[in-house]
Amino acid sequence: MSETANELVFNDRIDTDTQISSAEAMVLLGRSFALLRHVKGLFAGKFLFALVGILPPLLIPWTGKIVVDQVLLQKPFGESEVRFPPFMDPLIAILEGNTPLAIMGTILTIYAVLLVLFGVRAGGAVTSGLTQGHDSATQSELALSAGSSQSSGIFGVIELMINIRLTQRLANTLRTELFRKLARLPMTTLDDNRIGDSVYRIMYDTPLVPEICFNLSIAPLFAVLGAMISLYLMQYSYGPVAPELVWIAAGLIPLALILTVPLSGFSRRLNQASRASGAATTNTMEESLENISAVQSLGGSRHERERFARDSDQSFKRFRFSFLFGQAMFVVSMFCTVVAGIYVAILVSDLIIGGTMTPGDYAVLFGLYLQLGGTALGIGMYWINLQTNVAAVRRVFFFIDYPSETPGDIHSRLTVQDTIRLDHVSYHYPDGRQALTDIDLEFRVGELTAIVGPTGAGKTSLAYLLPAFLRPSEGRILFDGIDIADVGVDAIRDQVAYVFQEHMLLSESIRSNLLLANPTASENDLRWAIDTAGAGQFVDSLPQGIDTVMGRRGDKLSVGQKQRICIARGLVRDTPVLVLDEPTAALDPETENALVTSLQKAAAGKLVIVIAHRLSTIKRADRIVFLDNGRVRAIGSHETLMADTDGPYRRYVELQTG
Amino acid sequence: MALVVQEIQALTFKNVLRLVLRAWPYYRPQLKHIITYLLLNVVTGALLLTSGLVGNDLLNNKVLVGTPLQPAQATLLFVDDSYVTTGEEGEALTEDQRRTVRNRLFVWAFIGALLLMASFSLVYYYMVWIFQNINQDLRVKMIEQAENLSLRYHSDARTGDAIYRVYQDSATITNVLQQVVITPLRAVAWIFWGVILLTFFSPWLGLLCLLTAVPVVGLFMYFSPRIRVSAQRAREANSDLTSRIQEVFAAIRVVKANRAESEMMRRFDEDSGNALDAAFVLRVNIVLLSMSILVLGFGVVLIAEYLMASWTLSETATFLGGVVSIVGFAYWNLGAYQSAAGNIAQTARQSADVAQIWGGAADLLVGLQRAYFLLDLEPEVTEPDDPVTFPGPVGSVNWQDVRFSYDGDTPVLKSVSLSAAAGTITAIVGSTGSGKSTLMSLLLRLYDPDEGAICINGTPITRFGIDDLRSNIAIALQQNLLFTASVADNIAYATKDRSRDEIIEAARIACADEFIAEMPDGYDTELGERGSKLSTGQRQRLTIARALLRDTPILILDEPTASLDAETERQVLSNIAQWGKDRIVFLITHRLSTIRSADQIAFLHRGSIAEVGNHETLMASEAGHYRRFVHAEAGTDQ
Repeated sequence: MSETANELVFNDRIDTDTQISSAEAMVLLGRSFALLRHVKGLFAGKFLFALVGILPPLLIPWTGKIVVDQVLLQKPFGESEVRFPPFMDPLIAILEGNTPLAIMGTILTIYAVLLVLFGVRAGGAVTSGLTQGHDSATQSELALSAGSSQSSGIFGVIELMINIRLTQRLANTLRTELFRKLARLPMTTLDDNRIGDSVYRIMYDTPLVPEICFNLSIAPLFAVLGAMISLYLMQYSYGPVAPELVWIAAGLIPLALILTVPLSGFSRRLNQASRASGAATTNTMEESLENISAVQSLGGSRHERERFARDSDQSFKRFRFSFLFGQAMFVVSMFCTVVAGIYVAILVSDLIIGGTMTPGDYAVLFGLYLQLGGTALGIGMYWINLQTNVAAVRRVFFFIDYPSETPGDIHSRLTVQDTIRLDHVSYHYPDGRQALTDIDLEFRVGELTAIVGPTGAGKTSLAYLLPAFLRPSEGRILFDGIDIADVGVDAIRDQVAYVFQEHMLLSESIRSNLLLANPTASENDLRWAIDTAGAGQFVDSLPQGIDTVMGRRGDKLSVGQKQRICIARGLVRDTPVLVLDEPTAALDPETENALVTSLQKAAAGKLVIVIAHRLSTIKRADRIVFLDNGRVRAIGSHETLMADTDGPYRRYVELQTG
Repeated sequence: MALVVQEIQALTFKNVLRLVLRAWPYYRPQLKHIITYLLLNVVTGALLLTSGLVGNDLLNNKVLVGTPLQPAQATLLFVDDSYVTTGEEGEALTEDQRRTVRNRLFVWAFIGALLLMASFSLVYYYMVWIFQNINQDLRVKMIEQAENLSLRYHSDARTGDAIYRVYQDSATITNVLQQVVITPLRAVAWIFWGVILLTFFSPWLGLLCLLTAVPVVGLFMYFSPRIRVSAQRAREANSDLTSRIQEVFAAIRVVKANRAESEMMRRFDEDSGNALDAAFVLRVNIVLLSMSILVLGFGVVLIAEYLMASWTLSETATFLGGVVSIVGFAYWNLGAYQSAAGNIAQTARQSADVAQIWGGAADLLVGLQRAYFLLDLEPEVTEPDDPVTFPGPVGSVNWQDVRFSYDGDTPVLKSVSLSAAAGTITAIVGSTGSGKSTLMSLLLRLYDPDEGAICINGTPITRFGIDDLRSNIAIALQQNLLFTASVADNIAYATKDRSRDEIIEAARIACADEFIAEMPDGYDTELGERGSKLSTGQRQRLTIARALLRDTPILILDEPTASLDAETERQVLSNIAQWGKDRIVFLITHRLSTIRSADQIAFLHRGSIAEVGNHETLMASEAGHYRRFVHAEAGTDQ
């Protein structure tokens, strides 16, 4: 894999332009924020709990001051010049005049009640944090169910539960949407999209969205609210005594922002690289496991191992860069807090030594200061964290915005009772290769049509047009005379069942694989499909019959057996149009004969199209379309086409039979 | 829906110990770093603790209240003897002295904070680096194991499950040391130290702490099994979800063709919901445990504070406070109260932390067991202890009485014997599911036979090194598996030092040169995901070219030409016949034209070789299987 081409460093083929400008970042943040509309109820709950949770801790510094001054140092109330805030007045009225020990007893009783309810004194905050690994993927998984509460105790636990559900709901809304979009990508795009990358985006990029929502709503709101309350208290009680304290505290928040904001773009890029590199590792791992039989039989185990080791090492390294940057930011903001903190401590201790304040004030002031400092630090880091998350969210929204197939109106009345007509259809791939040129033909219901031609003639491309896997570049496709260009893919595919050349089965039971195509199929329908596909005998011989669970992509069955299950799946849908791409390639002649016979039977009243190389299959078709180099060269039955002695079909058949 | 079922063991002390010991080999290479990291931790921790104690005394008792210094404190702050306590009643520092003490204390605090922040960050980064290294080793080891497990395992497992194990479960190893060993030990040490320190103030406080241990243990016993079970559910549910996503995108065409998007969405929703519910239950359990302990612990703190306040008021002597000269806590005073209260709160918090960690550890050990599970699977196909070098010119390949079944019950091959000599092409023919591909997989040791042996030049293939054996056999698989890489890289997959000319030559023999040349970047064209931009016939020829490039004495082509038109097929086969003059070539095929060109035809019927010979001999046998087969194919043909 070329490491030199910049866009291929993380072998991303579609999402290659990963730069985010600050304006784009703002848009992404706005869109993430808008997701909150899906979780209004939970959000309101979280908001209320957080709001109520702010109140009890406000008491702590003041009751702490009373414990120091009035209990331990046994000073009377009112000796210090510092005023208690108004909400303390009722309590002080009760406490005033009591013995120190009685004061202590009352305060501790209040503490005990608040402890059980709000976890007051116990250090507040509870989080859902579990241990985490040291790369973006494992940390994301935890972010998916993140939650926290500034309170603890009974109240805190309930808030946490609401919060976890809120986070999960948000992330799940987005990842369901992403999954839906990815599954709706046009076929030509899917060819370029790596499976591991999709896994990574859905599993590990979406969980960072809730964090954005919080960092844009509850977090700053409550940080500012908390800071304002602290500032107000400081101003009320200490403003007259030491106004500069209030100013320092108020200055911390802008200071933290000034320090961190200019570096946000840098942080974004580091994080984008860390995530892309994680996705690349997933790609490597997924591909090597999925292709395991090729890897083992070609002796590529060591090669794959080295490739994985290299990618994984790279993703760890990228994570470390991004981590180191975060640490550096933390140290810088912390440094400011410490410097300001020491200054505050000097001011306060001067006042205490000078007798303006009491030792108890030190605890109150320092407590308030720490709260403010923490808030300032937090706000500074919000911005940086948001950048981190923007990188992930960009990866999510990239595919949500990607042009996808339109499911359309399922109830639109598209039918195939008569014909499918291709009206001068041409197709060329997005990269410009011409696959089909001026195809003009008609398929009729009740006929078995074979599409024949040399390798690379465009047979599969032609067949892909019918279920709208590909849309014609020129010309029209008409189902019973209706142009399907504007019809949604769901309505079209309701008419067309397509069986692929590669047999793709899910690692579930055979029944579940068949029901995938038609969830409402009855037991009889399943049985009929299996028998028609010639799979009845071996399915019955399996230990659990139709309920046998197949291994990864059905590896327990032989290729021929898997092919027949896939054909059965195509039949279960019972659509008017059935397209089979090389259904008999891996079958022995007897099985093939039996299958073609039953397909002919099934074709009565249907439009069946078979792409085939085998003469034995081709000869039994009602009509043969011979393709070469993207053009129709001949149409007709085997006999008519063979009658043309110079015709391309006859030459083709003669080569085959030797 | 885990196909490969694994039992998760209870979190008994023994099991925890076993898991931790198993992590040892991954920790050992980093031992030097881990020890350095631990030492750094201990040093910073001890510094923090002592400086906290001294700073608390200096600030509260000396600066704020004005009590004179202990002699050692005076030395530390570089002040003269006038600051030192004489032991007289009523002595106090002057305001200037208090300011001096404060200023010098703050200089120390500033220096200390700077050093601590810097060292804290660096130590943290160091830790991340160490643990990433450990995780990398385990991941690579797991992938190696996954690559080496026989296809029998892989046909039962889901790719997403392996991805989840390698990614998420393996990450838990980095936390084993941290979360299962260091943090609990450190927390226990803290708690222990806290209790000692409290006893140093008053034995009653120590006793109070010890008594709290009883309900705490009860809570642990109640919650532990719940947490373990929910942790396992959470991981399994997430692994299922990963598998779901991986499979949907691996089979996306089928989903589209069957218009199964909404059914897939429904299944995704279900899996996703399960995963989220499991994560929720796990977290709530953990939080309930740690919350109960926190409330309990701080209840004790409140009781202790009442006691201490009453002692301070009555100026009771502390238990052993007088013996330590660096702090002035001989009797209960503000500093002593603050210190002791801080300590006991710290102890309570540590206990709650232990609870949180314990919950995390349960999750972590479940993850670790899932990671080890993959490593513990015994690869069925094992390297010989004393491998023989693969023989120079290969003369013959023999299957001797080979029996094989995938599941142990249903025999796929029953007593198959077959031999092929150098310079011949052997066609393996038979009905679908008769065991043709299996026969070839055994030669590559993708599986080992249940009975019988396969020999090359008379030596059983189990005697060769696996890589040695496989690098001497080239196979073009029926599934045409390609990698997301350039055309040239796909042809030269897992080979070294092949020149572009050799690659082009291989492509030419496989009749792929022409269409490759027409691609936008020729041999450097990047293929789409798994080569999905190519037609099946093109993919088939690339896999053939890949096999040819390996230039091995044995070549296996599994349905090599099923998707090729007759003309291309003829060309490819005649090229291969030319190329394979001194080699042994096996062809699995249904096509008569291909079969006829073989020197030897082996007809497989229901897991045994029914007939062997060339076309003419086999056709001579009136009632033969082969004759019937040919008629079935040709009967409709001619």
